[in-house]
Amino acid sequence: MANPMEQFKIETIAPISAGGFDLSFTNSSLWMLIALGCVAAFLFIGTARPQLVPGRMQAAVEYLYDFIRDMLRENVGKEGLRYAPLIFAVFIFVLACNLLGMVPFIGAFTPTSHIAVTFGLAAIVFILVVIVGFARHGLHFFSLFLPEGTPLFVAPLVAAIEFLSFLSRPFTLAIRLFANMTAGHVLMKVFGGFVVSLGAVNIGLGIIPLGVNVALTALELLIAVVQAYVFALLASIYLNDAVNLH
Amino acid sequence: MPQFDPASFVSQLFWFGVVFTLLYFVVVRPTLPKVGKVIEARETQVAGDLDRAEAAKGAADALREQHEAAMKAAREAAQAAVAQARESAAKASEAQLKALNSRLEADADAAATTLAAARAAARASLEATVADLTSEAVAKLAGIAITPADVSAALAQN
Repeated sequence: MANPMEQFKIETIAPISAGGFDLSFTNSSLWMLIALGCVAAFLFIGTARPQLVPGRMQAAVEYLYDFIRDMLRENVGKEGLRYAPLIFAVFIFVLACNLLGMVPFIGAFTPTSHIAVTFGLAAIVFILVVIVGFARHGLHFFSLFLPEGTPLFVAPLVAAIEFLSFLSRPFTLAIRLFANMTAGHVLMKVFGGFVVSLGAVNIGLGIIPLGVNVALTALELLIAVVQAYVFALLASIYLNDAVNLH
Repeated sequence: MPQFDPASFVSQLFWFGVVFTLLYFVVVRPTLPKVGKVIEARETQVAGDLDRAEAAKGAADALREQHEAAMKAAREAAQAAVAQARESAAKASEAQLKALNSRLEADADAAATTLAAARAAARASLEATVADLTSEAVAKLAGIAITPADVSAALAQN
């Protein structure tokens, strides 16, 4: 059976190195560029001639943009709408990478199944929260770590816990997405291997893991969308802390 | 797991940075606000249209009320005119009837007077004739000569 981890292998397409760093163009870079191309096509076509009564493509773009705006309005308030383009960019990037990774036969690679990429995304959210928090509240932003009404004698403990949980956010955000994508792709690969190994024993037996894989494909498509949504939702919830201090 | 091989981290992060920077500054920033503007324009237009529709509805309601009031006034005026006409007609016919009645009464009175005079005249001539006939009959039957005046006196006595 093929190693289910093989699909995550980073393969260099064009070796580049600068200043002692390896900046090679890899399959991950290629699929991020493909995702960028898809998103660009979607957005450029959808907003080519914005009209009051939208066409199909414009309606699709509007639907997604409204989705992000509603999420920000609900979790952050009207103030949060300023960050809609950035949260939208994060959301659509995760969504495009996740969905493109599900395309069969063309050797699709899922950049979001790598913790380096998901950490980069989480870092963007984390840095945004810190910048917005300090810009809006100055040093008062530190009161985020001490919820109102905390008894004084537990305050140091609560502050330490809150601080740690705040610092752990980019890691949980990164690991959640990476783990979901990796687990899903491994599972599909494993059941794909079962189709071959069981089918070699008896063609009829191979049908069972094939059926499971069909169901898994549907589940993975759902997870691809849901994880993009969860990423954007958590980003807006963290943004709410920075904008409104709880 | 290739995911935990740090050898590729720098390259991945670098290309992620490049792609995300392009995505945000070249793709999302120039396009999405256009849609945002259109959404806002649509919201204001819809709100404006709704306001206009509400104003138009108010105007229509006022017009209808005006129309209803005018209709009501006209109906009342018509009813009053009908009542007046009916009243004056009734009065006129009553007067006519009265005049007719009095004329008929006068006619009846005149007729009664004529009738009484005629009756008196007839009675007077009847008495004279009866006296003549009686005196003649008495003369022929009893051979007593009495004048009609006597008969008349005798009749008058009874």
